[in-house]
Amino acid sequence: MQPPILKPTPGAAHESAHGHVRGSAEYVDDRPREARELTVGLIWSPHAHARVVSIDVSRVQKWEGQVWIFDYKALAHNTWGSIFQDQNFLAVDEVHFVGDVVLVVAAENPIILQAALREIRVDYEVLPAILSIDEAVAQQSFIGAERRIERGDWQPGLETAPHRLQGTIQIDGADHFYLENQAAIAYPRDGGVMEIHSSTQHPTEVQHLVAEAVGLSHKDVVCIVKRLGGGFGGKETQAAPIAVYAALVAKACQRPARLVLDKDTDMMITGKRNPFQVHYDIGFTDEGEIIALDGHLYSDGGACADLSTAIMERALTHVDNAYFIPAARLRGQVCRTHIHPHTAFRGFGGPKGVALIEQAIEAIAHHLGMDSYDVRLKNVYQHPHRNTTPYGQHVEGNALPLLFETLAERCDYRARRQQIKEQADPKSPTLRGIALTAVKFGISFITRFLNQGNALVLLHRDGTFQVSTGAVEMGQGVQTKIGSLVAAEFGVDLSAVRVMPTQTDKNANTSATAASSGTDLNGSAALVACQPLKERLSKVFAALVELDPELWPSRTIGPGTRQDMVWDRPLTRPIVFEGGRVFAKDQPERSLPLLDVIREAWFNRVSLSEYGFFKTEGLDFNKVTGQGTSFLYYSQGVACSEVEVDRRTGEVKVLRTDILMDLGRPINYDLEVGQIRGAFIQGMGWVTTEQLVYDAKGSLLTHAPSTYKIPSVHDIPRDFRVDLLQSDEPRTMHRGKAVGEPPLLLSFSVWAAIMNAIQVTSLPIPASRERILRALYPERFARWEKAP
Amino acid sequence: MSIRSFLRFALNGAIHEVSGADASMMLADYLRTRLYLSGTKIVCAEGDCGACTVLRAFPGTGKVRELRFEPINACITMLAQLDGSHLISVEALAQDQTLSPVQDAMVRQQGSQCGYCTPGFVMALCGLFEKCTTKPDAQTVKNHLTGNLCRCTGYTPIVEAALSLDPESLPPLAERFVTSRVVKALKETQSVAVDVTTPHGKILAPVHFADVSTLVKKYPKASLLASGTDLGVQLNKGKRQLGDIISLHLVPELYQSTQKGSLYQFGAKVTLEEVRVRCAKGIPEFSSLLNVFASPQIKNSATLVGNIANASPIGDTLPFLLVADGSVTVAKKRGTRDIPMTELFLGYRKLALKDDEWISSVAFRAPQKTELLRLYKAATRKDLDISTVSMAMLFDLKRNRKDNRLVIKSARLALGGVAAIPLRLPKVEAFLQDKILDQVLVDEAQRILQESIQPLSDHRGSSAYRRLLVQGYFQQYCDEIMQRQEVEHAAAHS
Repeated sequence: MQPPILKPTPGAAHESAHGHVRGSAEYVDDRPREARELTVGLIWSPHAHARVVSIDVSRVQKWEGQVWIFDYKALAHNTWGSIFQDQNFLAVDEVHFVGDVVLVVAAENPIILQAALREIRVDYEVLPAILSIDEAVAQQSFIGAERRIERGDWQPGLETAPHRLQGTIQIDGADHFYLENQAAIAYPRDGGVMEIHSSTQHPTEVQHLVAEAVGLSHKDVVCIVKRLGGGFGGKETQAAPIAVYAALVAKACQRPARLVLDKDTDMMITGKRNPFQVHYDIGFTDEGEIIALDGHLYSDGGACADLSTAIMERALTHVDNAYFIPAARLRGQVCRTHIHPHTAFRGFGGPKGVALIEQAIEAIAHHLGMDSYDVRLKNVYQHPHRNTTPYGQHVEGNALPLLFETLAERCDYRARRQQIKEQADPKSPTLRGIALTAVKFGISFITRFLNQGNALVLLHRDGTFQVSTGAVEMGQGVQTKIGSLVAAEFGVDLSAVRVMPTQTDKNANTSATAASSGTDLNGSAALVACQPLKERLSKVFAALVELDPELWPSRTIGPGTRQDMVWDRPLTRPIVFEGGRVFAKDQPERSLPLLDVIREAWFNRVSLSEYGFFKTEGLDFNKVTGQGTSFLYYSQGVACSEVEVDRRTGEVKVLRTDILMDLGRPINYDLEVGQIRGAFIQGMGWVTTEQLVYDAKGSLLTHAPSTYKIPSVHDIPRDFRVDLLQSDEPRTMHRGKAVGEPPLLLSFSVWAAIMNAIQVTSLPIPASRERILRALYPERFARWEKAP
Repeated sequence: MSIRSFLRFALNGAIHEVSGADASMMLADYLRTRLYLSGTKIVCAEGDCGACTVLRAFPGTGKVRELRFEPINACITMLAQLDGSHLISVEALAQDQTLSPVQDAMVRQQGSQCGYCTPGFVMALCGLFEKCTTKPDAQTVKNHLTGNLCRCTGYTPIVEAALSLDPESLPPLAERFVTSRVVKALKETQSVAVDVTTPHGKILAPVHFADVSTLVKKYPKASLLASGTDLGVQLNKGKRQLGDIISLHLVPELYQSTQKGSLYQFGAKVTLEEVRVRCAKGIPEFSSLLNVFASPQIKNSATLVGNIANASPIGDTLPFLLVADGSVTVAKKRGTRDIPMTELFLGYRKLALKDDEWISSVAFRAPQKTELLRLYKAATRKDLDISTVSMAMLFDLKRNRKDNRLVIKSARLALGGVAAIPLRLPKVEAFLQDKILDQVLVDEAQRILQESIQPLSDHRGSSAYRRLLVQGYFQQYCDEIMQRQEVEHAAAHS
């Protein structure tokens, strides 16, 4: 039987591709400076925890009239937070992390600004700081209550299981390393309107927070986002303070104000992927079937809640990953430390939950002398009575067994694993390993009310469309996909549709473009908007084809010689929009150009615009009980990676990676594959070379690409193959599945392959070169580190 | 002697003259804020991400049509260094509505997602095709893209874009951007020294070798600029304030590369890229090291002498120069003198130079037939990363008449990243001299080696990790010799 692989079909190029390659695509800081525009900078705490003793700005007085300085008292409202209002825009008396902003400084130009920043003195009294999860746990320094998901008799299960293993995994954070640093420009406009151009994934939140912080109402603030030079979750909440600082200056000085962080500042002061410490206690049979699991997750939330509690919820709902766990207790607690407040990063909590089970499976396989792939197969969601998650959601449309089987066959997994085992040479300077892992990623915001979107579709009289939604374009191609959906609805070329910059005066009360939901929520809202518009045009068409063209509205109603055409009659047959023409499905020969229908509709006073609203149905997850349907569906995939580890340097080469994903019916094959490759490589960086090193005072040392090493072109798998399963997703309007985050978790195949290569059952993330050598030669490290 | 008070360069085929405060700007800032050419992006401001990549050609002695444009980092390149250069920014590539072939390939292969790194990749690829006469393979393409970071695509479509192009369909950029009028305008200024006053200090560029020493004496605090790839970073990051600058770019002697037998000499303005190419045949090991050292953008600009003068304890070329009889020629107002590399480094970033002295060239030799040279570099990431440990090993091996075994006539070891300066290891070298290599000897040498170093712990790695790396490399080198011995031994007895 032919494997059910989707044949690649070239998709439309990214809507901004030409602008990208020409350098003409505009980002926030590319906007030409307006006359009188001010440059904004920040004074932030160099201490993790301290009291602000004094602020001395006397040396700045020489720039009187050229430099402006603001502290928290300049704000109408100083606290914010997406979940808990526990963060200050500007520090009041105390600073809680390195990077906590104390002062906003504005200057006539960047040179004066830099000079002024050097002349401002803030004295601190350093206070004791909590800098790790261990310290936070010891001091019971927590954010929010413990979250818990529990099912079945996990305790007796563990106690009576034939085998039982325990382990702890240290999972470090990672920097988003979006290429475009945080940036915002605020323009005070006519009549007291504040126009904000922000590099944000969440324009609505920027609008609301700016309004509240500087004392305006929501109606007075417009946030405009053309595109982001990368977001990855790092601009979901963290863009807001940047915009607030710019707006504060703009409002006070009534001049445009620009704040663009440099990379070092951005990396030092903004939060990252939460570090986690996860503990597992797992019981299983002789065959490797999981009986019970007790999982305990701690995350480092940093100094403020940000999204950390929601991230923990996603971690807990992803501990099962692709595997049925009959009895489980999963507990999660966010810790409060004195590190920058950590935040969303592609995958949210998912990867940390999944790391737990994938690591445990490697340990089980090692313990039983099995191939870890067999342990995965043994436990994968498959049988109808073993198909419910620990939080009680039934896994529907499950492709996992098919994905496993198809990929293992296509990449020749078993033979390669066997060969590596046989050819293992103790004298060789390199070690090889291979692993095949899976992802099952829940699609929907776990926080139910966020699963809503709205869209505005404007049809113009030349037959072109302007579509506006709350979706933010950050490289993922969401605008291209939404444009394609609308174009397909009306049977026109994609070039006839322009997806407009995201703007809060067109689409209000939107959710962040996050959780892989951009296309699902906003594309669906656009499709919802298309329906009544299509219906009206269909009815107009139905009326027109029956009418002598001489009596069409454009000939008669314009001059006022006839009454409006009667058009709003129920449709008797399906109408098709195709190739720029409109026709009844059973009468293709009687077609009219779409342009004619539009023109006549207009003359006949039929609305050519539509607003659509979409919400995801059927979600009933209860965060308190930890039970319910949390997700509309799951995006699933599998990956097999083979690695070579240099046993002298710990260097890892990824020799080959094969990925197979089920994405339903993709809207744009090329864009989906692009997301898969990019997410995988980003995850690979996190699990291998990206090291966030903090000094003993809680200050980040690796805050630029010279010291923080994301994958470069030579680090990608030497042989990298990505395929999609031929599939369909009836639960979404577009019949495709979300892709943004899930493939990042497939990078665990690299992590597991390294464990396979060096024959260990536990490896921290990232598995850096030093950590690999530590795992290989613990006794040498112990010796050298013991010596005085 | 005439002097000019402006810098002159060509950008996208048009002449630009800059003076006053603007002359002290970085190219990327100048493009973005003065010319509104915002296609050149600034991300890291330290030459590590490539988003600011532009193309540069500096007219040498060759014909105009042979001018080759090379990628450089606009974010850390001061305009002062670009005086006399031809430059191309991303905005100039497309003609009206027609994309250039590289741009078109990037669109076709979906090589952009968020688009922020894209102009830099486009420029780096243009630089690649300036060099290629035949279709490059994937490895070559990747080698040319190590200076560009992308966070969205996973690089694959960008590599595919390059592989889809035929170099024959890409005419040299000089044909479009270098006109005789521009060449003449630039040539005219090349023989005239620069003296520009900026609010930060003077920008001076002498045209005669001897004038450099005069200026160094006159402005003892001035920064001497070969390419300034490190100075640019320090300025951008506020670690240093710009003062007076003496740029060497107009002194013809400093561009000289010579090779006499096994002896190589490179002037202070010879780029690492040129060194890499010139050493490819005679010292392939050094040339390979330069492959993973810095990025193409940096190598097209940074110089070997600059790497020495910077005196970083982790300068990647230094261990090699320490074992390869390296020496520098230092000049001052009256004459020159040579300092062996082994005597050059006095302490952390401190050189054995007097205030009025400057390094005008560097010399080193290729290994002889009886010598085995190996250079090792460990870093967090293979490409474009500052090393955690770097190591150079050079043993002179002779065959023992009696039993035909290899004897170490002399041993040289040098290490970077384990002390405040790059080190030779005389104790280990002395121990190994005149010995026959076997594992017992290696173990003892390892012990002495570990005793001779006191590596630091920092964000690149712990002290123990560095020790382990040194141990591993030493073993690897010795294994290579012992294996050779075994193979030869076996061959002799079969």
